[in-house]
Amino acid sequence: MPDVQSMVNEFVIKLKKRKVEGSKSTAKLTAELLRSFISQQRLPHSNQAGALIDAVKAVGEKLIAANPVELAVGNVVRRVLHIIREEDLSLTTAAVGGLSLAAESDDENDTEQDDHPVLSATAVAAAARNALRPPSLQTLLEDIPHSAVAPPTSSSGGDSEGKSKSADKNSMTRKLKHNVIEAVNELIQEISTCHEQIAEQAVEHIHHNEVILTLGSSRTVMEFLCAAKEKKRSFRVFVAEGAPRYQGHAFAKELAGRGLQTTVITDSAVFAMISRVNMVIVGAHAVMANGGVIAPVGLNMVALAAQRHAVPFVVLAGVHKLCPLYPHNPEVLLNELKSPSELLDFGEFSDCLDVGSGTGSPLLHVVNPAFDYVPPNLVNLFITDTGGHNPSYIYRLIADYYSADDLVVRRKSAS
Amino acid sequence: MWYRSASFILDRQHQQQNDTVTNPDSRPLSPSSSAMATENPNPSISMYYQTRAAHHGVVTSDWLAQAQAAVGGNSDDAVSDNCVSGGDEECKGFSVVDEFNNWRKQPDLAEAVAAIRALASVIRSSQATTMMELEIELKKASDSLKSWDTTSISLTAGCDLFMRYVTRTSALEYEDFNSAKSRLLERAEKFGEISYKARRIIAMLSQDFIFDGCTILVHGFSRVVLEVLRTAAQNKKLFRVFCTEGRPDRTGLRLSNELAKLDVPVKLLIDSAVAYSMDEVDMVFVGADGVVESGGIINMMGTYQIALVAKSMNKPVYVAAESYKFARLYPLDQKDMVPALRPIDFGVPIPSKVEVETSARDYTPPQYLTLLFTDLGVLTPSVVSDELIQLYL
Amino acid sequence: MVAKKGNKGGMGGEDAEEELTRVPLQAILLADSFATLFRPITLERPKVLLPLVNAPMIDYTLAWLESAGVDEVFVFCCAHSKQVIDYLENSKWFGQPNFSVTTIESYNSTSAGDALRLIYEKHVIRGDFILVTGDTVSNMPLTQALKEHKERRRKDSNAVMTMVIKQSKSSPITHQSRLGTEELFMAIDPETKQLLYYEDKAAALKGTISLDKALLMDNSSISLHNDKQDCYIDICSPEVLSLFTDNFDYQHLRRHFVKGLLVDDIMGYKIFTHEIHSSYAARIDNYRSYDTISKDIIQRWTYPLVPDVQFFGNSVTKLERQGMYRASDVELSRSAKIGPFTVIGSGTKIGNYTEVSNSVIGEGCVIGSDVSIDGCYIWDKVTIEDGCKLKHAIVCDGVIMKSGAVLEAGVVLSFKVIIGSRFVVPAYSKVSLLQQPVKQDSDEELEYADNSSGNIEIATLSNAAEKLEEELRTELSDSQIQSVSEVGNGGAGFIWSVSEGGHDEEWRHSVAPIPMDRLVEIIKNATDELDISNEDGNILPPSGELEPDSVNDSDEDVRDDSVQFEKEVEATFLRAVNENVKEDHVILEVNSLRLSYNLAATDCAGALFYAMMKLALDAPHGSPGELVKNVAAVITKWNKLLKYYLPSIDEEIEVILKFEEMCLESTKEYSTLFVQILHLLYDKDILEEDAILNWASEKEEADESDKLLLKQAEKFIQWLNEASEEEE
Repeated sequence: MPDVQSMVNEFVIKLKKRKVEGSKSTAKLTAELLRSFISQQRLPHSNQAGALIDAVKAVGEKLIAANPVELAVGNVVRRVLHIIREEDLSLTTAAVGGLSLAAESDDENDTEQDDHPVLSATAVAAAARNALRPPSLQTLLEDIPHSAVAPPTSSSGGDSEGKSKSADKNSMTRKLKHNVIEAVNELIQEISTCHEQIAEQAVEHIHHNEVILTLGSSRTVMEFLCAAKEKKRSFRVFVAEGAPRYQGHAFAKELAGRGLQTTVITDSAVFAMISRVNMVIVGAHAVMANGGVIAPVGLNMVALAAQRHAVPFVVLAGVHKLCPLYPHNPEVLLNELKSPSELLDFGEFSDCLDVGSGTGSPLLHVVNPAFDYVPPNLVNLFITDTGGHNPSYIYRLIADYYSADDLVVRRKSAS
Repeated sequence: MWYRSASFILDRQHQQQNDTVTNPDSRPLSPSSSAMATENPNPSISMYYQTRAAHHGVVTSDWLAQAQAAVGGNSDDAVSDNCVSGGDEECKGFSVVDEFNNWRKQPDLAEAVAAIRALASVIRSSQATTMMELEIELKKASDSLKSWDTTSISLTAGCDLFMRYVTRTSALEYEDFNSAKSRLLERAEKFGEISYKARRIIAMLSQDFIFDGCTILVHGFSRVVLEVLRTAAQNKKLFRVFCTEGRPDRTGLRLSNELAKLDVPVKLLIDSAVAYSMDEVDMVFVGADGVVESGGIINMMGTYQIALVAKSMNKPVYVAAESYKFARLYPLDQKDMVPALRPIDFGVPIPSKVEVETSARDYTPPQYLTLLFTDLGVLTPSVVSDELIQLYL
Repeated sequence: MVAKKGNKGGMGGEDAEEELTRVPLQAILLADSFATLFRPITLERPKVLLPLVNAPMIDYTLAWLESAGVDEVFVFCCAHSKQVIDYLENSKWFGQPNFSVTTIESYNSTSAGDALRLIYEKHVIRGDFILVTGDTVSNMPLTQALKEHKERRRKDSNAVMTMVIKQSKSSPITHQSRLGTEELFMAIDPETKQLLYYEDKAAALKGTISLDKALLMDNSSISLHNDKQDCYIDICSPEVLSLFTDNFDYQHLRRHFVKGLLVDDIMGYKIFTHEIHSSYAARIDNYRSYDTISKDIIQRWTYPLVPDVQFFGNSVTKLERQGMYRASDVELSRSAKIGPFTVIGSGTKIGNYTEVSNSVIGEGCVIGSDVSIDGCYIWDKVTIEDGCKLKHAIVCDGVIMKSGAVLEAGVVLSFKVIIGSRFVVPAYSKVSLLQQPVKQDSDEELEYADNSSGNIEIATLSNAAEKLEEELRTELSDSQIQSVSEVGNGGAGFIWSVSEGGHDEEWRHSVAPIPMDRLVEIIKNATDELDISNEDGNILPPSGELEPDSVNDSDEDVRDDSVQFEKEVEATFLRAVNENVKEDHVILEVNSLRLSYNLAATDCAGALFYAMMKLALDAPHGSPGELVKNVAAVITKWNKLLKYYLPSIDEEIEVILKFEEMCLESTKEYSTLFVQILHLLYDKDILEEDAILNWASEKEEADESDKLLLKQAEKFIQWLNEASEEEE
C-alpha cells in the first residue's frame, strides 16, 4: 500500500509540474498506475465493487486535481470506474440471474441519494430513468430489443454496487479484481494501439492526388498519413508550422523522411492555401461530450478556414481523448497559458518589462494559450479507434465508455 | 393562493364531456371566473394558458381583479363541489381530472407530476384484478386527462411517461398483480419527488456554465431557470441578468422581482430590445414548456426569436427543462402544434376586423439550441432527440 | 525556434538525468542573503520564507532545483535558522522520493564565504554542485549548462565555475537593471565564454570603466556587456569550496570571490558564463526585484512556477480572464472591481466598491469597502478597513489598517503593525513593531547606511538579531505609548528613519515605480556630472574609454552618427553665435549631444571646429585675405570654447585632420589658405606645435594625393621644426 501511495504521489507531482506531456502518454501512465493501484487494493468481503470504486475515485480525484487541464487523466479514471461497474454487473448477473431484489435495489437507491445528491434524484426517478436515462446506454439498448428482462435489471444497472452487496458475495470475491485488472489491461492495450487502429482507416479517407492540410504535430496524424502512403496512395501534405512551438517543422521533416510530398506553410497562410486543400486532418487534445474539440492553438482558425471553403475538417482522436464533460467557458477553464518565453525572448524585451518606472505595471503583456476550442459545428468527422463518427454522435460513444455516475469524480473535486 | 382552475376546469369537463350544465350559482365566490368558465369554451384562452397564469401568478389587471375577488373564496368549496359533481357521474373521467386538479394545487408541483399522481390514484381506487384491466383503466384515465387539456405538453408528457412505464413494466413483470400494483403506486409517489429534485439537479448542473462576470438573458418566468439563478446567487457567483418583459402576461416582471430579492443585478428589457442588448449577453437561459422529439423546445412566445438572435451573434442558448417535459411531439413548423391561445391586452380597443395573433408559444428548432440542462444530465439537442426516440420506440 | 529550445530543454531534463546518475547532482542553497535590504521585515522572518505571490520564496527555488534534476539539496540556514528548519520540516520537501533536502544550521556565519567554509568542513559535497540562494526564481533547465561545465572541466581543470547570465537591459537613465541592481559590466571572451571582467558597482564609476591592458593583450577578442543580468546561479566545482577556505577574506560571492579569481591569475582559475535565453532566472535582492519578479510570475515568465499550477503545496488557484488569479473560496463583493494581473489568495474577503489592480493579496485577508489597492503586496491575514488607500506598498502578515489610512508609494509595513485611522504613512517609510536598531548598536549598522549601493555581506548574526529582537520586544510595551503618535491614533509600530546615506537612494529599491520627477532629476544630474568630469579634464583618452553600447555598432552606423552629430553641433554653434549664448551653455549642449550620439570628445572638437570655419566662410568676404580675417575673428571670439574641447594633443590632431578634410572636400576655398590658417591657429594657441608636427609625421607615410596640403605647409612645418630645435 505505501508503495502504491508513493507511486500515486509521484505521478501527481509529475502531473502538477507538467512533466508528463501528451494525452496519450498521460492516459497510459494513468491506466498503468490505476492497474497497480487496483491490484494492491485489499478488498472487504462485502460490497467489493463499491469499495473499489470509492478507492479509485479517491485516487482519481487527486490525479484530476493535479492537472485539471489534462483531461485524459479524468477520462481514464472514469473508464476504469466504468470497467469496475461493468465487471461487477456481469458477475452479478451471472450469479443472480438477474432476478428479483427489486425492493432492495430501491433501498439502495435511497442510500445512494444521500451520497451524491446530484445524481441520486435520477436514480430515484426510477420510471424516468428506466425509460429515459441509460446510466450506461447498453442497459437501455439491451432492454428494448428483448424487453423481457428489462426494468428490474436495468434499474439495478445503475446502482450495481448496491446490488452486489445484497447479492451473492462469495462466488465473485476474487474474481472481480481479477476481471477488472484484465479489463484495465485491455484498456492499456487499447490506448497503446489506438494509432494503428485509427491509421487502418486512412485508406478510406485519403485518395489519390489529394492535398491534405494539418497543423502542428500529432503522432496520430503522422501514423494516419503514413498508413495511407503505405497503401500506395500518393498525395501531398501541407503542414502549418504551428506557432509558437513550431512543432510543424519537425513534423514536416519526419513526413518528408518517410517519403511524403510535404509543404511547410506559416499558420497565417492557412486561409490562403485552404482552397487547394481537399481535406484537413488534425489531432486533438480532447474531444468533449458535445463534439467540440480542445485542440492545439491555431486549429480554430484552420477549422474556420476549412468551413469557409467547405473543406472537410477531420479530427483524429483515440478513444482515451473522449471526455464525458461539456465544455463551459472552454477558452478559459480548459486552457493552459504557457510561458510567454515561447513567443518572445525575455532579454530582448526586458526593457519593455521594466516595472521600475511609469505606472509600475509592464506595458507589454504576452498571452500564450496552449489550446483552442473548436465548436462541434466546424468538425465534419471524428475518426476514432472504432471508426468515423459525426460530432453529434460523440455523446453516444461516451455513453458506451463511461457511466454517468462517474461524472461525480469531477464534481467532487471541483466543489 | 388562489386556484381557480379547479372549479373552472371541472366546468369545462362538464360541458365538453358530459354535457352537463353546471349551475354557475354554485360558485358565487368567483363570479368572473365562473362566468368565464361557463360561458366558455372561451376559445381565445386556452386551458394551458390559464394554468400557466395561475401557476406563474401572471399579473395582468384582469387576473389581478379575479384573484382579489377570489381571495376570500375557499377553493375547498369549489373542490368539494367538483368532487360532488364529479362523484355522481362518470367516476373515472371525473376522479382523475379532479385528482389532477387537487394535486396541482400544491404550489411547486409540476403539472406532469400532478398527472402521474392522479393516475396513481386511479390505480389505488381501481377494482381491476388483472394487469390488463388495470392497464385499460389507466389508459382511459390518461386519455381523458390528456384530452382535458390538449394544449399542456407536460401533462401529456407526464401521462405518456407513466403509461409507458406501466405497460412496459407490467408486460415484463413476473410478480403477482398485487405487488405489481403496489410497485406502480410506489413509483408514482416517487415521481413526485423527482419534480423537486429535478430542479435542484438542473440548477447544480448548470452552475459550471455560469461564470463570474457573465450576463445572462432570460425570457419569461420559469421555475427551473429561477432555481438555476438562485443557486448561482447562493454560490456567490457574480453575474447579472437581463429579463425580458414577457408580454403580454409580463412574466419577466415577476422573474425580475424574484431576482431582485436575491440581490442579483437585473435589467428589464422590453421584448423587442433583445437584439439590441444581445451584444452584452454571454448566454441565454430559457425554460421550456416541452422538449420535443427533434430536440427543439416549445416555450413561451418569443423564445424562437431570441434563439435566432443569439445564434446570429454566436451566443449560447441553454435550456433548462426537467425530463418529464420531454414529449412525443415532432412539430414540423410553428403552426404544427396545438396552439395555446391567450388574451392580449393592448390597452386600447382593437377593432374587431383586426386579427390578433394570440398564440402563447412558439417552437424553437434544435439547431438554435446549444445545450439542454435536464435532470438526466447536460444534453445536446441531438441527444434529447435520441433519448426520446428510444423511449417511445 | 527560441521557444522550442526552452521546451526541449525542459523535456530533456530526464534524458540527461540518466547520464548524470553516476554522481548525484548536489546543490547548496543559502537560505540567508547576508544582507539587510529587506529590513525591517527580515528581523522577524527570514527572507526565504517571505511570500512571493503567495508562496514562500524558498519553495520556488526548491521546486526549480527539483525539476531541474537536482538530487540532493543542502539548505544552509543562518538567520532565523529555526524558522527555516521548522518550515522545511513541516513542508512536503522532506521525504520526497529522489529529492533529499538536508539543512545545515549555523549560528555564526556572517557571509556566503563563511557558509561555504562551513560546508566544506562538513565534507558533504562530492562533485560539481549548484550554488544558489534561497530567493532565486528560475525555470531554467540545468542540463545544458552542466554539460558545458563538465566538458570544460575535462579539458581544463581550472574552470571552476560557470555563472548563469541572462540578457536584460538596464535603464539608460537610472543605470539600474529592472531587478533594481546596479548596472553590471562584464567582459566575456565571445569564443570561450570565459568571464574576464566583472563590475557590479559600475554606477559609482560615473560611466567609465577601466580594463586591465593585459586583458586586451591576452585575448584576441573581448565582448563587453552592460546588458547582462547576473542570475546568481553558479555551477561550481568542489574546488570553489576549498578556495573559500584557503582565502579567509573571501566573504562575498561576487565582490570577493569572482573578482578575486579574475584579478588574481596566479592560481589560474577561470570562470565561465552560460547565457540563458528562453528560460527565466532572477534573484530577489531588494524590494524592487521583489516587485519585478512578482510581476514576472504573474505574467507567467516563470512557467510552470505560476500560481495556477500547483508546483508545490500552494492552494488551488484558477487563472481567469486577463491574468486574474483567484483561489477557489474568495468572497468578492459584487461591486468590487478586480483589475487584471491580480492574485487573490483563498479565504480572502473583499468588500463593496473596492478596487484592486496589479496586486497580490494573500490568504485570509479581510478588505473592507471603498478600499483602493494598486500595485501592492498584501500578505496573509491582513485587515484593511473601509476607505483605505494603498499604492505600491508591501503589507506583511497580520497588519491592521484602520479605516481611512493611506499608504503612499513605497511603504513597507512589517508584521502586525497597526496603522491608525486616517493616518497617512509617508512615502518610502518602513514601519515595524520593532524599533530601529540605534546607530552604535554594532558595526552592522554602518554597513546598513551604505546598503543602497549593493549587497552587503554584513552579519545578520542570527543570535544577535534574535537577541536584538527580544530586547526590542520587551521595550515595546514602554514605547507603545510613544508609538501611538507615530502611526496614528490607535496604531502600533515605529517608523524607521531612513539612514542619511540611503535617503536619496530609497526610491531605487522600493516596490514603487520611480516617480517621473525623479527620473527628470536623474537625467539632469547625469549631464551635470559629466560636465564636471570634463572640466576636470579627466576624460580618458579614447583608447581607454570604451563606450559599451557602441561596441557592437558597425562602422556604418558610426559614420552616419558622426555626420548627423556634426550637423547638430553646427546648428548649436550657429545658434550660440546668433543668440549670443554663453560658452558654458554651448559646452553643455554639445556635451549632451555627444552623449546622445555616443561619440568621443575628439569628435566634438572636430565638429566644433568645422562649425566655426563654416561660420567664417559664410560671413561676407571678397578676397581670401578677408576670409582669413573672418576666420581670425571667429577663432578669437570662440577661442575658449574650442580650447575646452582640445585638452590634449589627440584632439588637436583631430582638428587638423578635420581642417584638411574640409580643404579637400567640402570647402575648397580654404585649400589655398591652409597654411595661413594653420599658422593663425598656432598663433592663437589653439594648436600646439607638437600636434602639427605629429600630424605632419603621420602624413609623411600617406599617399601622394593626400600630401597636397602637407606640401603647402612644408615651409611652416620646417619653421616649426627649426623653432623647436632652437628652443632646445
